[in-house]
Amino acid sequence: MTYVLNRLLSVILTLFLITLVTFAVTNILPGDVAMMIMGTQSNPEALAGLRESLGLNDPLLVQYAHWVGGLLTGDWGNSLIFKKPILELLSQKIVASAVLVVMSMGIALALAIPLGVWAAVHRDKWQDTVSSSSALLGVSLPDFFWGIVMILVFARWLGWFPSSGFVDPSVDFLGTLQHAFLPALALGLGLMAHLTRMTRSTMTGILSQEFIRVARAKGLSERTVIWRYALANAIGPVITIAGLQIGYLFGSIIVMESLFGYTGMGWLTYQALLNRDLPLIQDTVFVIAGVVMLTNLAVDLLYVVIDPRIRLG
Amino acid sequence: MKDIVSVDHLRVEFATDGGTVVGVEDVSFTIAPGETLCVVGESGSGKSVTSLSLMRLVEFGGGTITAGSLNFERADGSLLDVAAANAQVMGAVRGHEIGMIFQEPMTALNPVFTIERQLTDGLMLHKGLTQAAASARALELLQSVRIPEPERRLKQYPHELSGGMRQRVVIAMAMACDPKLLIADEPTTALDVTIQAEILALINRLKRENGMAVLFITHDMAVVAQMADRVVVMYRGRIVETGSVTQIFENPQEDYTKALLAAVPKLGEMKGKPAPEKMRLIGDEAARAAAAPAKARKPEVLLQVKNLTTRFPVKGGILRRTVAQVHAVEDVSFSLNVGETLALVGESGCGKSSCGRSILRLIEPTSGEVWIGGRDIGALSHADLRRARADMQMVFQDPFASLNPYRRLKDQVAEPILNFGLATGAALDAMVLQLFDRVRLPRDFMNRYPHELSGGQRQRVAIARALAVNPKLIVADEAVSALDVSVQAQVLNLMMELQEDLGLSYLFISHDMAVVERVAHQVGVMYLGRIVEIGPRSAVFDSPQHPYTQSLLSAVPIADPRKRRFGEDLAFKPITSPIFPLGHKPAPSTYTEVTPGHFVLSL
Repeated sequence: MTYVLNRLLSVILTLFLITLVTFAVTNILPGDVAMMIMGTQSNPEALAGLRESLGLNDPLLVQYAHWVGGLLTGDWGNSLIFKKPILELLSQKIVASAVLVVMSMGIALALAIPLGVWAAVHRDKWQDTVSSSSALLGVSLPDFFWGIVMILVFARWLGWFPSSGFVDPSVDFLGTLQHAFLPALALGLGLMAHLTRMTRSTMTGILSQEFIRVARAKGLSERTVIWRYALANAIGPVITIAGLQIGYLFGSIIVMESLFGYTGMGWLTYQALLNRDLPLIQDTVFVIAGVVMLTNLAVDLLYVVIDPRIRLG
Repeated sequence: MKDIVSVDHLRVEFATDGGTVVGVEDVSFTIAPGETLCVVGESGSGKSVTSLSLMRLVEFGGGTITAGSLNFERADGSLLDVAAANAQVMGAVRGHEIGMIFQEPMTALNPVFTIERQLTDGLMLHKGLTQAAASARALELLQSVRIPEPERRLKQYPHELSGGMRQRVVIAMAMACDPKLLIADEPTTALDVTIQAEILALINRLKRENGMAVLFITHDMAVVAQMADRVVVMYRGRIVETGSVTQIFENPQEDYTKALLAAVPKLGEMKGKPAPEKMRLIGDEAARAAAAPAKARKPEVLLQVKNLTTRFPVKGGILRRTVAQVHAVEDVSFSLNVGETLALVGESGCGKSSCGRSILRLIEPTSGEVWIGGRDIGALSHADLRRARADMQMVFQDPFASLNPYRRLKDQVAEPILNFGLATGAALDAMVLQLFDRVRLPRDFMNRYPHELSGGQRQRVAIARALAVNPKLIVADEAVSALDVSVQAQVLNLMMELQEDLGLSYLFISHDMAVVERVAHQVGVMYLGRIVEIGPRSAVFDSPQHPYTQSLLSAVPIADPRKRRFGEDLAFKPITSPIFPLGHKPAPSTYTEVTPGHFVLSL
């Protein structure tokens, strides 16, 4: 329990540092929110008035306190381009992206674990080569390329899945899954490579351990030995890598969601960046950082369940 | 009586990048019901390959049985040729009719499953028991291997158990389905001597109670003498000699067997001899080994240790504060004379290695004084300490890990000389050459890399490196423990020879009582960080006074089949924890002098 509190404390500390960095960076950028709203050709007097009313003339510290205070009290400000409260926007989009992230990670794990185990069991044989080459193929091509391939094959030629768009899960959950599938598959192929390599190398190590020989000497079948005895030991490091990849994934969805017209966090971030929607950028970065850190905390906690040797305290 | 196992002309090959390597060939032996057959040999002799073939586990290590038969009499009386059996039949035999125990109890259990799960899965598979019945049987098994608190152990994970307890669990697992044959592959090699004695006694009792046959694989001739009915001696994949245990020990026929036996130190054989003696080696070293006994020296103290104490912090809590301390070395005092060997003996965790390292200040002692040649090591500045290190060198246990794999051997031996600025250029080359000669390594090894050498050769390089700076004191931390027995004997003889010629003093840290009896002038027995008994070797070995010394000596297997000691169940007092809360003030070590120079810790 102290461990969890400890970790939560460090998450809060990190989030605080992130607010500092984000705030600093967005303030160093040329132009300010008033300029964004009124345009560069606007009347200087009107601009000055807007600045005053937005509080942009306040000392930076006051502006920062105002922003963080807003984050804490639920007043996340308004998006300049969508003319909507940011909190409302984000809470819609995060659901869409969560579906995509979970699905792509699920696909990546579902492919990587069997492939990695297969390679480890047949180490240094042709199966190993096939496994590592296919994993390498997945990572060596950028994921938007896979996105294009997916659209061509599954949407254009086969017509199995829609090529773009997003359906709200509260309206049609199946529709959400259908729309998320192709971008998730494209992302999953990119994620798969590291996970396959990780599964292979941990499984290789585990399979050479004495307890595997002991399990075989007990007469257990190879299936039990590999899929229960060995995999139960190898899964921890794989999940840790998967947790770290969540952060990377939030970068990848910016491209992928835009490519598929899938209106989630990634798409939102892209729009915000494109239109210099500074309040939206600040809040989005904050949310993504928070999600990534909480995921990694969850992975660490999951580790305790997987491996009894790890005690928290 | 019909044999339960008969192996006939077994040949096992391994496919490697460099072509086919023969693991064993032309191996034939039989095992009768209720008999213990020991297969003994040094590393690479093929003894493990033989035992793994009998379980057909050898194929998981890349081996293939290419010739011969392995007949095993199954429970229903039918004969099964294991070499030709299919995977399904082998699945039914493994763990059911043949049980197996391995060397490493620390890694033999699956770390993420409970003890109960690991004990019951075999039972449910082979005996078709329900979960509840299997659990009940698992408890019975734990009781039969005499694990304390068996009910609690079932729910625990392997890391919560000590090495000895884990090996008992592994034995319980192997015994679960009442096998007719138990294969034990070096089952006690990784264990402390008292735990080894307990495990050997346990195997003997289980064998007696269940009437099963045992195939016992070991490198340790003393264990063979204690356990075997019959012995198979293997060397380089072939059988050298087979015979009853008394025959092998008392009337060996083959030169290899004779050499092997000669290299084994026998506890008790030094009785009545005042000074250490070299190992008898058969062959080219015989003449040298028989050389004149050590010259008597005028006693002159080199190393004086006073009240040495080393504690390690145990960290915990949110702020990683020190919450307790490991009392690794506790108020240890002794002195070591020039040209003599003081052995520190004890079981793992007793503090003997920490003591050696504290003396060299490789770890900083908490308190106490160390004087070497009249210099207070504890008071030296870092620069002075560095210079002083030329006088005190160390040889470590693992010659595979203590040499840098990327550097030529001559550079590794030259390194300390360069570090201390003792020589450069041609003089340096000459020194290195001399060192290689000194430790009897061929000169053409100088340009080689560590991986090209055997373990014994590497340890010679490590010794050459230690000698390079002309030290007065060498701390040898289990320096021969990882070596095969014949190599061990050669390295020990080399060390004793260097002592005679150069007047070196050794602090010889070891767990092996028989080796210590052979090489030491003085012996200190360590237990929980303290020296519980110290004195001349003959005094400590011939009339041990402290109960711990007595139990340690009683647990050592003797390489003589007529001196068997592990018939009945043994239970030694488990060693308690050396971790104490902060501020714990242990009583000082006070000693009683029983005979001149022989001190025993007051209880």
